Amino acid sequence: MQKLIQFLKKFRDFFIFFVLQVFVLSLFFNSKAYHRSKMINTSSGIVGWFVEKKHNITKHFSLEEANEMLMAQNAELLAQQPQSFYQLQGDVFSVNDTLRKQHYTYIPSTVINSTSNDSRNFYTLNKGRAQGIKPGMGVIADQGVIGSVIDVSDHYSIVMSALSDDSKINVKHIANNEYWILSWEAFDPEYGQIHNVKRDVTFEIGDQVVTRGGDLRFPEGVPVGTIAEVVSEDGSQTISLKIKLAVNYNGVYHVYVINNLMKDEQAVLEQNALERE
Amino acid sequence: MNNTWVKYGSYFVLIVLLQGLVINNIEVNAYLNPMIYPIMILMLPFELNAIITMLVALVLGVSVDAFSNTFGLHASSALLVGYLRPILLNLIKPRDGYVTTLLPSIHDMGKLWFLIYASSIVLIHHLWFFTVEVFRFDLFFHILWQTVASAFFSIALIVIFQYIFYKSSKK
Repeated sequence: MQKLIQFLKKFRDFFIFFVLQVFVLSLFFNSKAYHRSKMINTSSGIVGWFVEKKHNITKHFSLEEANEMLMAQNAELLAQQPQSFYQLQGDVFSVNDTLRKQHYTYIPSTVINSTSNDSRNFYTLNKGRAQGIKPGMGVIADQGVIGSVIDVSDHYSIVMSALSDDSKINVKHIANNEYWILSWEAFDPEYGQIHNVKRDVTFEIGDQVVTRGGDLRFPEGVPVGTIAEVVSEDGSQTISLKIKLAVNYNGVYHVYVINNLMKDEQAVLEQNALERE
Repeated sequence: MNNTWVKYGSYFVLIVLLQGLVINNIEVNAYLNPMIYPIMILMLPFELNAIITMLVALVLGVSVDAFSNTFGLHASSALLVGYLRPILLNLIKPRDGYVTTLLPSIHDMGKLWFLIYASSIVLIHHLWFFTVEVFRFDLFFHILWQTVASAFFSIALIVIFQYIFYKSSKK
């Protein structure tokens, strides 16, 4: 009898452990499958408050780097200003532009928390729903593509970086417009992969790869990386490329969230075409 | 009694914040991912039963998850060591059993006993953590390296933490 009670007691602990463990693991794997989750993370309430406080202290550590980057970008933008062009015709810059319509606007934001050594990596930004950020928007930095927004709260948002094993980015080769899908396989933050490249495409090591545009998140031509290595397997019809990523994902500080003003129009049109099939 | 709750509560908050705001930001390379929060489970009283240990571990894991955007990964690993701790304590029991006025700390139980105890818990924790996180069998040796390298780092942090924040409870 004593032994039976002992056994039941042991079994009770294990049973409770088992139920809790299954529950917790299903939460974890579900959050992987659906990309976003309503569970607590660094965008929510008290945790967000602590992360913001930490950021208020640590943001000063990287000021020098951030300033250098901003100055470089300012110089580039200044070069594009009307006053840095020589005016050949008096009325060139006064034409009311009816040929172009604003397509993308950019919401500047700052990274206040980040991970970069896991198999899926995230940034927490200090802007959220109140500033117009919505899930699904693309995020870029000065050097190139960062990722896309997966969750927002009123004042913070979570970005899944391109360094995530389920991240897919539509890219193209800058010279011959061949388009591919960039993915990332865990643990090397400097390189991404492109699979299923046809063998008859011509390219060279060092060629630039940029975003393709048209996937509702990124405009065309945002830098992604350069071709670093060709990986071919015997017997396979296609080859793979190793891409040296343009962004140092450990050092991202100032980012821009992209608001695609024509997103709904394109999405509705594409959806209608699919339904008609 | 009241005093004990306040003490463990403030250790809990301190450890979660330390892990979430400081140690999560140590990014040396992909193999080093140190964690200090298992010390909260290590330092619970000897006689605490498995169910309460598991509940403490679960809340601890969920709190650390909230800071790391991992939705259940830390909770799962903490829960596992919470369940295994009473079993392990039983296995490495000294000849005369445990004195309930003492704590499982390096000061009370000695360096050798504590190192065996802490490294078993930390290794189990890290192995489970990285296996669930990566979940690919072709990366088995990667997981193993990650476990060993990070565990080494974590144990060092835990020992340092012990010397800073805990005193001997003898006398």
